Amino acid sequence: MEKNDEAFRKRLLATFRNEAAEHVQALSSGLIALEKTAAPEERQGIVETVFRETHSLKGAARAVGKGEIETLCQSMESFFSLLKQGKASLSAGQFDLLNETVDVLSALLGSVEEAPTKAQLAAVRELRQRLSGNGPRNTEAPAPVVRNDIPPDAQAPPSPSPPEDTAGVAIGPTMGKTLPDPPPLRGGDTVRVPVARLDAILFQSESLLAAKLTAHQRVMDIRAAQSDVIALARQRARIAPEARALLRRLERREPGNRRKGDTRLRRLLEYLQQEDDFIKTHAMRLEALAKAAEHDWRSLGSTADGLLDDVKMALMLPISSIAEVLPKFVRDGSRSQGKDVDFRIRGAETEIDRRILEDLRDPLIHLVRNSLDHGIEKPETRLAAGKPRRGLIELSASQIEGGRIEIVIADDGAGIPLDKVRDVAHRLQLAPPSGNGDAGSTALDDAACLELIFQSGVSTSPIVTDLSGRGLGLTIVREKVERLGGSVSVGASPAGGTRFRLVLPLTLATFRGVHVRCGEREFIFPSAHLTQVARVARQAIATVENRETIPLNGQALSLARLAQVLDIPADKAQARTESVQLVVAGTAENRIAFQVDEVLGEQEVLVKGLGRQLRRVRNIAGATVLGNGRVVPILHVPDLLKSARHAAPSPEPATDADAARKSLLVAEDSITSRLLLKGILETAGYNVKTAVDGLDAYTQLRTEPFDLLVSDVDMPRMNGFDLTAKVRADKALADLPVVLVTALSSRADLERGAEAGANAYIVKGSFDQSNLLTAIRRLL
Amino acid sequence: MSREKAAAPRRSIDWSDVHRRLEQVRHAVENDGTPDAQETARILAARAQALATPKLAESDGETIDVIEFLLSGERYGMGFTYVREVFPLLDLTRLPCTPPFVLGIVNVRGEIVSVVDLRKFFDLPENGLGDLNKVIVLHSTAMTFGILADSVAGVRTVPRSELQPSLPTLTGLRERYLLGVTGDPMVILDAAKLLADPRLVIDESVAP
Repeated sequence: MEKNDEAFRKRLLATFRNEAAEHVQALSSGLIALEKTAAPEERQGIVETVFRETHSLKGAARAVGKGEIETLCQSMESFFSLLKQGKASLSAGQFDLLNETVDVLSALLGSVEEAPTKAQLAAVRELRQRLSGNGPRNTEAPAPVVRNDIPPDAQAPPSPSPPEDTAGVAIGPTMGKTLPDPPPLRGGDTVRVPVARLDAILFQSESLLAAKLTAHQRVMDIRAAQSDVIALARQRARIAPEARALLRRLERREPGNRRKGDTRLRRLLEYLQQEDDFIKTHAMRLEALAKAAEHDWRSLGSTADGLLDDVKMALMLPISSIAEVLPKFVRDGSRSQGKDVDFRIRGAETEIDRRILEDLRDPLIHLVRNSLDHGIEKPETRLAAGKPRRGLIELSASQIEGGRIEIVIADDGAGIPLDKVRDVAHRLQLAPPSGNGDAGSTALDDAACLELIFQSGVSTSPIVTDLSGRGLGLTIVREKVERLGGSVSVGASPAGGTRFRLVLPLTLATFRGVHVRCGEREFIFPSAHLTQVARVARQAIATVENRETIPLNGQALSLARLAQVLDIPADKAQARTESVQLVVAGTAENRIAFQVDEVLGEQEVLVKGLGRQLRRVRNIAGATVLGNGRVVPILHVPDLLKSARHAAPSPEPATDADAARKSLLVAEDSITSRLLLKGILETAGYNVKTAVDGLDAYTQLRTEPFDLLVSDVDMPRMNGFDLTAKVRADKALADLPVVLVTALSSRADLERGAEAGANAYIVKGSFDQSNLLTAIRRLL
Repeated sequence: MSREKAAAPRRSIDWSDVHRRLEQVRHAVENDGTPDAQETARILAARAQALATPKLAESDGETIDVIEFLLSGERYGMGFTYVREVFPLLDLTRLPCTPPFVLGIVNVRGEIVSVVDLRKFFDLPENGLGDLNKVIVLHSTAMTFGILADSVAGVRTVPRSELQPSLPTLTGLRERYLLGVTGDPMVILDAAKLLADPRLVIDESVAP
């Protein structure tokens, strides 16, 4: 029973943690807002809010027996209640104290399942003392006029001091945005649903899209069957008059003149006539069926699309849900660097797909950090440059045309020092040195130079701070944003600083992709990364400096074989065709023509991650689920371009005596065994095709010539014994050697195999590839 | 004569047992198969007792609930708390540029799940041709992947006291993830350790 208590307590704590996290977040946002707000009545409102949040958190902590959180809240609550009573204002030191308290609360919540550590308890004790010792005293005197020269980051001894904020700065209407509005819909109108459950609903709604496509396939199948029946009816209609004439002649014949087969012939003709009616009826039934199926398809389609849209809407969250951590981040960051920075959010209510938002958290934090670290100057520098001492970082989000979201992060700092970027780029040999001889032709223009900062290794920061400066961040930002189907660009902001602009899809959108086949594998190339899909004559391939190139639109492009780049087996039959299929990826001089075996078409695809185990796979960006439910990997084009350049130049794989190779058919229902058998046999030099069960194998055997059949015994639809018997009974196949591979090893099974006509019998339990290969070699 | 011969091998009939069973049957027939009130009360009480006894779970340290599966002819067990679901492997998409132990990815109701071949991860000799057509999806708060099994036998509860630390035949990587071996023998693997192992995580990009 104790165990149940424990489980209950765990659940309780999990609930508490979620609730408490919201309180702490609101508290933190409230403190930031309070620090920036000068208007007394506004401040009063904010104090009221933080007081309430603290109070609620205290109650919640008491309910789950987290004493340390409760007492800490208690102290903070008293602090706020004093503040509430008077027109008290807070010093920078007191704000620091409160922020510190919030940090400790967050830490306590982070490990809420465990008992607090000694260090945590000591911190709580210390903070409580400081909170009670430094409570706001009512400052009866009106707040003095604020002077600009009070260092904001002075770790002044906590004492009642006038607000250090200048009354005129940064109290725009946007300021109010960072303060969470009181939740308008507490009550029956909203329901809390665990995200995991919503995700499950989304996945299932997405799979309805597959059902929609399947329904369409059904319609097509029925239409095909219908046209067959109509063709049959037409043929019958042609012979019908003859049959009728024949019947009439039979009927006119004198009874005495009748011949022996007449009755039978008449019966046959009558039957044919009836069958005509039957075929007509069937054609009509198929027509009705096709219409009904079409109707079903359309209604399923519109329901599925509507449902998916609604579910996506349900998964939309306002930008504020991730941006609200930023004000505190900026505050803490600017303090530690001795900078004075204001942070504003515009359009915090703009909604965007939760999945996008989640992946956007790191890029946003990074960009803000970038502005904070490299953009905004120290107060002295700013004043010297004639700028206001307080810097500004602004994040604005808005919906733009085409159902896309634009997020701009701009600062009024020093901007990106282009000459430094040029130097670094030169050092890394990414670009020719700046100002080197002939102007313009070799030196980078400003736009191209700005682009360089997204390259890894380029950082203009002379020192690596704990915040940024490692030169990797922006590369990651770009990669993350591009993976979401968005883009990121950088420019100068009107205020002279830096301006990063992110454009993102509103929902985790589908994008267009080119579906290609390479050997037996299929892949999707994102269309956005492609410039061309072409087919060229094989003879056009030329070797230049040991690398293959191909002329396209008057330019020689490097040629890479996709199979080789990905290190997968290629389609050997393809090596004999007269032309090659190319997919050209990349931009400008960075283009590479990838040779694939077949382009299957272009279609809408929805990107999905590869699961938690596969965080990042070389050359693969994700996967998508096709209409038929099959999963196809999506290629990561930037990786591919790099890989293609790394790949050792190698000529066309030799086409050995391919035509003379024996072809084998492997029938096996287990996908892993199928792959294994195929692999072993292909390595041994055979052409191998596979079948998923006996019936599939039999169909393939009848449509294509094979030299030998390797079959599992236990398969659905038609087992190996039946398949063997069927092969033996078939005139065309009777001599085909058959090797049975099976888990059944009893003598009776062996005999049954022999009886059915198998030439060899290999037991799975003692399976050894040399046994199989020996048996096959003997039979061929 | 012939009858005697036929009866000869069954000479050791326990007549008292036969009589006892006959008596039981007679008793049952007379009572129309229904136990008397006292007996009914006893049975019900015993049943209530059995139902009221809480099932011992993994967390109490005495027993461990494991899912039992076959892999390369050997029996394995894994903590049931980490098993999300089991399904037959019907379709699989292989991924290039991944280590051999990553067999590929599958679509589980719209979610992409990677599938691991433990034989390759543990570097086991691949003797025999398994069926390998069941996927056991393991998950923790931070990780989800499927492992391949030839077949899944079911769930069973194993007392911890029954576990032996190891077997001399268990070598290599497998030993690292070993929770213990039962007498049967069944190799019980530490699912939590597998799920938390960074060696199973693929995180690579192409060098510039």
